[in-house]
Amino acid sequence: MAINTGNSNLATRENRIGSITGYVGSLKDLATQSECGTLKGCSRCFSQSSTCLSSCGLGQLAGIRDVAIIHHGPAGCSVASAGAYYMTKVMAKKRGVTSDTVYVGTDMNENDTIFGSTEKLRDIILEVNKRYSPKAIFVSSSCATGIIGEDIDSIVDDVREEVGVPIVAVHCEGFKSRIWATGFDISDHAILQEIVQPPREGVKTNKINFKNFFESARPEIIEMFKNFDLDPVFLYCNSTIEELSHLSESLATTCICGTLGNYLGNGLEEKYGVPYVRSINQCGIVGFETWLREIGKVTGRSEKIEKYIEEQRAIYIPQIEEVKKEIKGLTAVLGMGPGYTFEVSRVLEELGIKVVWALAWHYDKKYENGDVPPSMKYLLDNDIDFEASVADQQNYEVMNILNKYKPDMYLSRHPGSTVWAIKNGTPAIYVADEYMIFGYKHTLEFANTILDAIRNRSFEANLAARTKLPYTDWWYQQNVDAFLEEVK
Amino acid sequence: MGEIRQIAIYGKGGIGKSTTTQNLTAGLCEHGKKVMVVGCDPKADSTRLLLGGLAQKTVLDTIRDEGEDIELDLILKEGYGGTKCVESGGPEPGVGCAGRGIITSINMLENLGAYTDDLDYVFYDVLGDVVCGGFAMPIREGKAKEIYIVASGEMMALYAANNISKGIQRYARTGGVRLGGIICNSRNVDRELDLLRAFSKELGTKLLYFVPRDNIVQHAEINKKTVIEYKPDSNQAQEYRNLAQAVIENTDFVIPTPMTQERLEEILMEYGMMELADDYKI
Repeated sequence: MAINTGNSNLATRENRIGSITGYVGSLKDLATQSECGTLKGCSRCFSQSSTCLSSCGLGQLAGIRDVAIIHHGPAGCSVASAGAYYMTKVMAKKRGVTSDTVYVGTDMNENDTIFGSTEKLRDIILEVNKRYSPKAIFVSSSCATGIIGEDIDSIVDDVREEVGVPIVAVHCEGFKSRIWATGFDISDHAILQEIVQPPREGVKTNKINFKNFFESARPEIIEMFKNFDLDPVFLYCNSTIEELSHLSESLATTCICGTLGNYLGNGLEEKYGVPYVRSINQCGIVGFETWLREIGKVTGRSEKIEKYIEEQRAIYIPQIEEVKKEIKGLTAVLGMGPGYTFEVSRVLEELGIKVVWALAWHYDKKYENGDVPPSMKYLLDNDIDFEASVADQQNYEVMNILNKYKPDMYLSRHPGSTVWAIKNGTPAIYVADEYMIFGYKHTLEFANTILDAIRNRSFEANLAARTKLPYTDWWYQQNVDAFLEEVK
Repeated sequence: MGEIRQIAIYGKGGIGKSTTTQNLTAGLCEHGKKVMVVGCDPKADSTRLLLGGLAQKTVLDTIRDEGEDIELDLILKEGYGGTKCVESGGPEPGVGCAGRGIITSINMLENLGAYTDDLDYVFYDVLGDVVCGGFAMPIREGKAKEIYIVASGEMMALYAANNISKGIQRYARTGGVRLGGIICNSRNVDRELDLLRAFSKELGTKLLYFVPRDNIVQHAEINKKTVIEYKPDSNQAQEYRNLAQAVIENTDFVIPTPMTQERLEEILMEYGMMELADDYKI
């Protein structure tokens, strides 16, 4: 699908690439239906709370150093500012840089809703610009401004000259998509629209764009890429507007998570010809090697990469094989975003652990370029199958599955989710850090973490014995898809 | 003193809701009734004929300028025959949310105690179609229990009336709102009376009154007056008095049965296509 940066209002994942939030079946069926284009998502007649795409979109943008986010909406909408400030400051401190990014809510009230408040918005933009001198300004809508059709685009256009720094309208109405990852695309769209500039004439670089969340493995990855004469540019956490403006000059774009990176990657490729590395991600041995080889191919560095792989294999493969002996045959259930759940499933299979059920918080049947996500393609090509469902963090479905299958472990990247599993007596592994399974070294650590988690299960057993969960026996006896509604 | 009859007037934009409501109000005044008219249109022109011009400051403008701590007499003006006139007001065209404005201003009227016991009638003159929840506010939460739809023999007027009936049906299920009938504001189209009668019957209601077309209405409007005030002896003034009488005497309140587009078109084909003399009088 062509990326149109001429329009600030990006269509949702559901509309653009047919992503879904409701499915129960098998991995093979999900993948087959994705490939032949017949997959349709179900809705639910009962739904637990989910999350808002604006937190994802604006959280990403707030990670950029020295910018201003202006969230045009009632005070409650900008509640995400607290989290964004915390994250921005902590991440900057960790890296040893400073970020003067501000996150401002416009405190829209009843009168503003009735009469519109674009003039107030104009004043706020100009005041924020004067007071904080940000390097770029992102002006976001909210549900309220979306409903009343507040024309933030015109105001942004009007003040562009006066503010003198890049300024973008960002359309983050929470109600428009059940898929919070639409927020990632919205932030990428804003960056592609106004921040990224065409490549400068004659500039040669060895940079590679690396889209990730919090750059926790930054030093290690910089070190690794030195072997291949590549210099990674991590996005967006702690990025500068200057760095982002030159993304179009890089040799390639890669990402830690397809859900997070595929819009920017495809956008840069489509608009500026920067190749997007399309492979399974860096988790596990096969993932890491496939990814490195793809980078080698795209950037013409295959020889250096093969040498690196050989050296590293010698160090880590024997150690990983040792741990595998101890965890082989265990069973697992996973609940993660689609960018991770099918990658981590692959790693678990690689480690000899049987995946009995994988939940994805949403599912992209194809990415922006029209391909089935590589993680799914890999599982399908390698004849791996297990039960799978798509649920936007519907905890009651997770609990039903854990009760039915009683796996040895539950893995999730979302903290609340693992707590529920532990209360249920299921050992849980919180795959919090995005680099927790990255490459050989972290795959080894991950295998050891699994071993730690299942060796002593008394904590989970004791906690479960003393906890009363709110779900009834009736619910545990129902099929997982009891509340799914027929596809319309 | 009986319960206040709260009445909402709906109909296609430009059909003559405000003109009909104000003339009807003037007719009710002559019957000695105490009436309040609440204009629910951002244009704020629902009480112009009763007040002799657009002299009114709207509820929303007042809230915006003065804050929420306001007195009722700032927004409630007395017009022809002691009628109480309020304009909800709203944003400039193309910005903000007029629907939310109606919700806010009606809540404000209630909070300020505008619905006094001495009132016999409250009319809500609502803009155009029931486009969103805000424009349904007058018929929600036990406010207007009685609705009249102003229509004519023109296709789009009937289409709008049918659509509005869907809104009424929705709120009738949960609240006490009922359709009191159709008021025809004649456009002199072929067999208009028959068509309106058939349409009303299909909706499960009745044609409450047929107001003939008369240029005197236009003259009165230019003079910022109701016909009853402008030319009390004219035939048209009598028509509006009769309409008032019909409203006073009306006891038929129904949950409407909106029709499909196909059925609406059938009725139009049946009555709207032929030129036949008809001497039916209501």
